[in-house]
Amino acid sequence: MKVIRTHDLSKTYNHLVVPVKALVNVNLEISEGEFTAIVGPSGSGKTTLLNMLGGLDQPTSGKIFIDDTEITGMKESRLIDFRLRNIGFVFQSYNLIPVLTAIENVSFIMLLQNYPKDKMEKRARELLEQVGLADKADVRPQKLSGGQQQRVAVARALASNPRFVLADEPTANLDTQSAFNLLDIMLRLNREENITLLFSTHDQRVIDRARRVITLVDGSIVEDQHFEK
Amino acid sequence: MKTIIVISWRNVWRNKPRSLTILLAIAVGLWGGIFATSISAGMMKQRFTSSIETQVSHLQVHNPKFLKDDNIRYGILRADQIERVLAQDSSVKAFSSRTMVNGMIATATLTKGVRILGINPVQEAATTRLSTTVISGTYLTAGGRNPVLIGKKLADKLRLKPGSRIILTFTDVEGEIVSASFRVQGIIRTTHSMLDETQVYVRQRDLQTLTGDESIINEIAVLMHNIDQVNPAVEALRKQFPESEIRFWGQISPDLLYMNEMAGATMMVLLVIIMLALAFGLLNTMMMTVFERTRELGMLMDVGMNKVKVFSMILLETTFLTITGALAGGILSGITIYITSHTGIDFSGVGGNTLSDYGISAVVYPELFPGFAENIVLLVLLTSVLSALYPAMKALKLRPSEAIR
Ligand SMILES: Nc1ncnc2c1ncn2[C@@H]1O[C@H](COP(=O)(O)OP(=O)(O)O)[C@@H](O)[C@H]1O
Ligand SMILES: [Mg+2]
Repeated sequence: MKVIRTHDLSKTYNHLVVPVKALVNVNLEISEGEFTAIVGPSGSGKTTLLNMLGGLDQPTSGKIFIDDTEITGMKESRLIDFRLRNIGFVFQSYNLIPVLTAIENVSFIMLLQNYPKDKMEKRARELLEQVGLADKADVRPQKLSGGQQQRVAVARALASNPRFVLADEPTANLDTQSAFNLLDIMLRLNREENITLLFSTHDQRVIDRARRVITLVDGSIVEDQHFEK
Repeated sequence: MKTIIVISWRNVWRNKPRSLTILLAIAVGLWGGIFATSISAGMMKQRFTSSIETQVSHLQVHNPKFLKDDNIRYGILRADQIERVLAQDSSVKAFSSRTMVNGMIATATLTKGVRILGINPVQEAATTRLSTTVISGTYLTAGGRNPVLIGKKLADKLRLKPGSRIILTFTDVEGEIVSASFRVQGIIRTTHSMLDETQVYVRQRDLQTLTGDESIINEIAVLMHNIDQVNPAVEALRKQFPESEIRFWGQISPDLLYMNEMAGATMMVLLVIIMLALAFGLLNTMMMTVFERTRELGMLMDVGMNKVKVFSMILLETTFLTITGALAGGILSGITIYITSHTGIDFSGVGGNTLSDYGISAVVYPELFPGFAENIVLLVLLTSVLSALYPAMKALKLRPSEAIR
């Protein structure tokens, strides 16, 4: 089953003196349970692609389907709600709400989803446990290391029970140990919970572990490799 | 919603120095505004009470012709019956019937125009504060021949002391000129220095005898126990004595009525201006907050926080900030007003004479205008909403993808 499908996806930034073609006719399918890395040099269009797939920005032309629902052209307010119910996000930084503790950050998404209150706390704790941060539940983000913050972000992304998780360079700001640690957690979630994960990176250590690697150059897919691991 | 409230409240305290600054500004601004208006309210109340108790009373009875012509000849018809009705009415605290004539006061060297009020000393003392304003000599008594009370200013101009002799000259009810010798019994000083220069008080009996009509009464001033009793009393008297003109205090002194109605509104304008200034400070603070948190607000919308919630969050943050400041200002005001309303504030050092010229005593007891507190609460809420609107809208305009970058 295809979770994501794109059809001739293009994005041109026109508001500059010279229009920038950030994405050119991208056709892409992501199946349920895939663990995919989008790689490519800086400026190749990774962030732009993820933003389009996550419904954070509209393409200039082309279509995006999430489970057969077309999100291109969707109204902003509907799109926000669609994101809330279907997509988990892990950004490079500024992931968490600084005034909320780790567990409150995780519960926050469930609150937005009107998740039953009585089960919320239990689930938030389970998620923190899965990312190895059960003991940091009541700590605010600024007291956590960068790696720990990203792990809370992963737990937060999973809290909404999304169809897939998008992560834009989640390890970019992390030291090697933390990067591996985060990657291990993501891999395990993929393997054990069948979470569909799509992330961008230009970090070779991360690329080596992905099961599918899509390479972007100048906004076009130049390579799409599947590895059996 | 509860989480939004929690987040908003905690957000308020993220930048403590900044929040405290605006909070303090709101508290002090509000305190200044409320306290200033309370002083003004205290003055108004004092002036009102003073006007009622020294000149106007709650209602007055006249012959309508007297009001037009101001001639002693126009006495109140059936005055004795009116007095009887008033004496029997339990809502009437006191009343004073007066005989009034314009004339001249003369010493050996100087002459001045004055208004001569013939009063019943006992009735007058119960109705107005006249008896308490004597600063030298004594108040009018039953004994002695032709005593007169004169104001301090007039006494100074004519160089009079208690015991001095003066001549009062006026026309009687027939239009004949009458002169009589009076002896200064007391010097008075009221809060109304203009009247202290132009009005003298003699015994009604003496004046009536001199004018040739032993029963002529030109004015009856009535003081009720309670201001709410004024209207019913006016209605009843009008029905019973249609030939007389019965006026309540607001008709006798329209500026008193105007002052009463306008003062609160004027003070509200002052507060609105203060709050407007604070609104700009608040707006500025919230704009800084929103811009500083561009990425965070973008992230919230990225992960699925809808616009209503983001908007509410900014609105709540502003409201919390405002309410906390307003609460502090309110408590400060409450304490200040509570204390000063008991001790009073003495303004005699800063122009006590000017104040007394307008019928205001120099010691002021601040108080809240009636209904003011509710209006302030409303004003504060309005201010916070108004200053939150623009920053909240700005927050919504953040493009998610730009926020991430
Ligand atoms: N908001 C934008 N406005 C203008 N140009 C942009 C914008 N976002 C990205 N770009 C341009 O689009 C191209 C792709 O950028 P991006 O998707 O951020 O690449 P990557 O994430 O792979 O580094 C770059 O040339 C970049 O300068
Ligand atoms: Mg990027």
